[in-house]
Parts: sequence; structure tokens; C-alpha cells
Amino acid sequence: MRLPTTLRVGLLAALLALFSNVALIGFIHWRTYDDSIEAVRQQVVEAASALDVVYASGGRRALDKAIVDTLAAGDPQLLAAIVDRTGAGRVGNVGAILDMAPPLQPGYHNGRVRRRAGAAPAGAAYRLRPIDHGDWLLTGRSLGERMRFQRTLESSLGLALAISVLLGLLCGLIIARYVGSRVGEMAEVADSIAGGDLAQRVPISGSGDAFDGLARQINRMLDRIAALMEELRLLTDSLAHDLRSPVGRLRARVEAALAAGDEQKRDALLGGVLQEADSLMRILTTVLEIGRTEAMASRRQFAPLDPAELAGELAEMYEPIAEEAGCVLRVEAEAGLPPYPGHRQLLAQTLSNLLDNALSYARSGGEVVLIAQMRDGRLRLGVADRGPGIAAADLAEARRRFGRLDSSRNSAGAGLGLALAEAVAHLHGGVLELADNAPGLRAMLVLPLAGRE
Amino acid sequence: MGRKILLIEDDRETASYLVRGLSEEGHGVDHVEDGRDGLFRATDGSFDLVILDRMVPGLDGLSLLKAMRAANVETPVLILSALASVTDRIEGLESGSDDYLAKPFSFGELLARVNALLRRGEGKTAADLRILVGDLEIEPLSRVVRRAGRVIELKPREYRLLEYLARNEGRVVTRTMLLEQVWDYHFDPGTNVIDVHVSRLRRKLEDGFERPILHTVRGAGYRLAATA
Repeated sequence: MRLPTTLRVGLLAALLALFSNVALIGFIHWRTYDDSIEAVRQQVVEAASALDVVYASGGRRALDKAIVDTLAAGDPQLLAAIVDRTGAGRVGNVGAILDMAPPLQPGYHNGRVRRRAGAAPAGAAYRLRPIDHGDWLLTGRSLGERMRFQRTLESSLGLALAISVLLGLLCGLIIARYVGSRVGEMAEVADSIAGGDLAQRVPISGSGDAFDGLARQINRMLDRIAALMEELRLLTDSLAHDLRSPVGRLRARVEAALAAGDEQKRDALLGGVLQEADSLMRILTTVLEIGRTEAMASRRQFAPLDPAELAGELAEMYEPIAEEAGCVLRVEAEAGLPPYPGHRQLLAQTLSNLLDNALSYARSGGEVVLIAQMRDGRLRLGVADRGPGIAAADLAEARRRFGRLDSSRNSAGAGLGLALAEAVAHLHGGVLELADNAPGLRAMLVLPLAGRE
Repeated sequence: MGRKILLIEDDRETASYLVRGLSEEGHGVDHVEDGRDGLFRATDGSFDLVILDRMVPGLDGLSLLKAMRAANVETPVLILSALASVTDRIEGLESGSDDYLAKPFSFGELLARVNALLRRGEGKTAADLRILVGDLEIEPLSRVVRRAGRVIELKPREYRLLEYLARNEGRVVTRTMLLEQVWDYHFDPGTNVIDVHVSRLRRKLEDGFERPILHTVRGAGYRLAATA
């Protein structure tokens, strides 16, 4: 049988209250009982030693008189008597000793006595000592009152126990209701999120308790998920959008090739088909590259590299292209840069993308500068051009995958370059800095030398 | 001259296309679909080249490769993979493969790479020997290049480009191969960077000479040869 959580928590609390209170009350009972038994024993010992003194000094006769006198003082609990060897009373207020078969045992006993013949047995604590003629001196106290007190105490304790269990149950239910309502809120939010409403957030009570902490964590997680979902949606939208035109061109070329009558013309058209297919592949590969880079999986491939050498290599690679475009490609690399532990391939790819961009935007006679320098313990690697640049308002858009600042530009993978550059910067624990080169764009990877996580 | 190639590929369509194509080139191709079978066959030492799909059932390609290298089998390995990012390529190369080709690929690209790898296995071309291609003469030690006895001045990168083309004389070399072998870059720069470098080299090799020597193979790459 499944009980509702609230009830189960309540019952658990009640059970715990029961256990702890039983232990507590048991302890009280045990201590009070022991204490009172000890007090009685003390009184018995005192009374007995008084009568012992009388017997020692005055003998049997003085003892008889002392018993009568003591009883006459009117203490109703006091037992004082001389009994014979079978325990039957001769003098004093005890008629018979019960629960003890003759011969009588000297010493302290807890047992029952009958005060008079025919009276009800009563609990008693007493001491026995033999005196002359085979008789015994009994000194003791009746426990009747003691027992009543004990019983009252016990019933009070029992009542307290019952109350505590009820209170425990009540507290448990209250706590369970509180916890249940807080958890319920979260469950509700989780439910509506599972239903597709990612805008829901767990309410925060403001008490700063563990539930608020949990709620904040959950909300943070939801924010992250929502951001990722949004990014994914944008990505798929723009991927679909970006792929539409090359796929369209591809289709048109295939169609044209099918329609082409002469073989040479068809071959030329099929060559174009291949080119389009390759550019599609390039877009897809770059998108995957960004994904892989953002997953930080490639940090294992970090190795020390010389930034100036890397810049030199790329400049040498792009120098003919710059020349064809009628631009000047210049390297501004500081001498004596320390080796930088990084991903050579991805850094080279990023610089190559930036150079590609810069050169395709550069006007004839313009200048493109490949920069490698150290500033404030950070390696700055990047490209500055004198092209049209990016307006400040468009900078965020430019960093996005498929951010399309220039829809007229249809070179393959356009719009992915800066997103890849940013992913590569993050991989190295740094950032991509886009600045106005007045005029032109200055795109720099700013990478910390040490202290990256 | 036919060579023995082991193809480890579970995709039947790709496999039959490769078996057909490579057989037409005169190579003997054995095809297995499972990684474990592949490792068993690859270690028997009778193959000149292994073409390995990175994701095959039984045993994944990279583990197979590592096991092969651990067993001291030095047969050249060309990895085929749909995992095409720079990181994946580097991972593949670092696992001990000699070349890495991303799917989808053109058969021309694959063949060019297969031929380059098979040639490497033919016994190392001594680096200090002269390379002759028609009337072109290359001295790797001094890095002097002459054509018809006339010295041609080349920049270091142009020299490396030429040497790689010359070592693959008569065979098609693709742009990607040049990028990987001459520049050691494993990404696709997306522009005509390689074309521009090749056409510069061509100008230096052919200007003032009658016969072309550095040929463009349309849709595939380049070929250095005395005859077209």
C-alpha cells in the first residue's frame, strides 16, 4: 500500500517522537523508582537501628514498650513488630509475613505483609533480625502510598507519551506539508517544462533556505538549457537557410547538366556541381568543427608553438593571394614571444579564416596586418584590415554562427568564420575581440598565457 | 603493378565501389566488414596497405590501429571516416595512421592518396638522390632545381611543393594532400590558396620553356610529368 508522502513523513515524525519519548520517560521512571526505593530503605534502616539500640540496652521488655510507643506516634506507614519463627505477629502492627516460607531470613527485604489477620496484603519494605526465644524483630515501612504515587507518576508519564506522539504526528504533518508544497512547486515547474514550456521557473521564497538554493540551481540550469535550445534553434534555422542557396544552385547545375547536349558543356557544368557539393561539405565540416571545439574535446592536442612563426607561416601562405587582390599583407610579430601551448591546427585555421575574410573585403591597395603580440600577460593573435569593418551595433550578430551581415556574400561557410574564431578563443580560455580599426575591422584572439582552467 | 590492399569497411556500398575502383587500377583488394577480422588479417603481414573505416563493428578503427601498431605491423594505413573535423583528423593521425580521408571523398582523391602511400612503402627514396622529371632536375640536398640545365630560383615553400610533386611523379596529387604534406595543415582553407601557390610555381617552371611540366587535372588536382 502506498501512503501519500505527506502522511508518510508525518508518521515517520510521530514514530521518531514515540521512540525518543519512550526512552526519556523510561529513564525518568527508572530514576524516580530507584530514588524512592532508596529513600524507603534509608528510613527503614534508621528506624531499625533505633530499635536495635533499645533492644541492646534494655532487652526484650524495653523493646516491646518502644514498639508500642513508636507506633503510638501515629506514622501510618511505619511497621514495627516482633514475630515468631513462622512470621506470625506477637507484638506490633504486623500480623503475618507473606511470600517468605520459614525459616525467616535476616536482612532487608521487599515483600508483602498482612497487618492484621483478615486484612488485605500490603507491599512493604522491612528488615528482619533475630532476637531471643527464636523471635524476630521486624522494622519496616508500608509501601501503599509509595505505590499510589508511582502509579500516578506512571499514568502521567503515559499521558505525556500519548500527547508527545500526537504532537509528533502533527509536527510531522506540518513539516511534510511545507516540504511537500516546496517540492510540489518544483515538480509543477518540471512538469510544465516537460510539457514544453521552458519559460517556467521555480519560485524563490526568499527565506534563503536549502529549498531556495535548490530552486536557484534548478533555475540556473533551466536558463542554460533555454539558452542552448534557443541557440540550437537559431543554428538549425540558419543552417537550413544557409544550405538552401548552395543546394538550390547545386540542383540548378545538375538540371542544366542533364539538359546540356554537348559533352564538353556537360562536363563543365558537372565540374560546377562538384564545386557546389564541396562548398556544402565545407559548411557542414565547419559547423561540426565549431561543435567539437566548443565541447573542449581537443585540449589534449595542445602543444607549445611559436606564435610569431605561426603568423609568419600564414602570411607566407596568403601572400600570393594578397598580391592577386592588390593588397599588402604585413606581419606585425613581436620578437621573442614565449612559446604558447595551444592547438596549432585550430589557431592556424582561425587565422586563415580571418585572413580570408580580410582579403576578400580589402580594397585594392589596402593593407592587411597579421598581428602576434603580448599585452598584459595575454597573447594577442589576429588580423586587422582596412575594409568596411563591422558597425558597433552588428558586432554581436557577427559572432553568431551564420550571423549574416552581408547576405550578398555567398562564399561557402560565410558567417561561420567569426563563430569558429570565438569557439577557438574559448577553447584556449580566451576571448575573441572585435574592434574598429578606424577604418576596418580588427579581429583578435586574446588568449591568457597562464591560469586558464 | 598491382599491390595487395586490405579494406576494412562495413558499408557495403562504399566497399563495393572501392573494391571495383581499386581493382580496375590493378590492385588486389581483400574486403572484411568486421573490426576483429580486420585486425586478424592486417597482422598477417601480407598487405601493402590497409584502408580502414574508423567506425566498423566488432572493434573500432582507432583501437584496431593501435593494436596493429602495438603488434609492430608497420603496413601503411589510410583511415576513412565521416568524422571530418580537424580534431578528429589529428586524433586519427596520432593513433598511428599514415593518412586520413574524410567521407564523403572523391575516388580520385582516394586513389591519389593510396598511390602516394604505396609508393612510400616501396622502399624509401633516398633524400639525397637526384630526382629527374623529364628535363627537370632536383637535388634534395642542396635544394637546387634546374630545368634543361638552367637553375630555377625557388622560395623554400615552393621548393617543398615541387619536391612533393616530383616524388609523386606522374601521379595526381590533390590540393588537400598538398595542404597536408607541404604546409602540415589539416583544415580546408576554402579559398584557392593552393591553386595560387601552384600557379606561381608553374610560372617559374614553365616560363621560357616550350613543354608544360606541371599539369592541372580537372576536378582532382595536379600532376608533375614530362608528358601530359
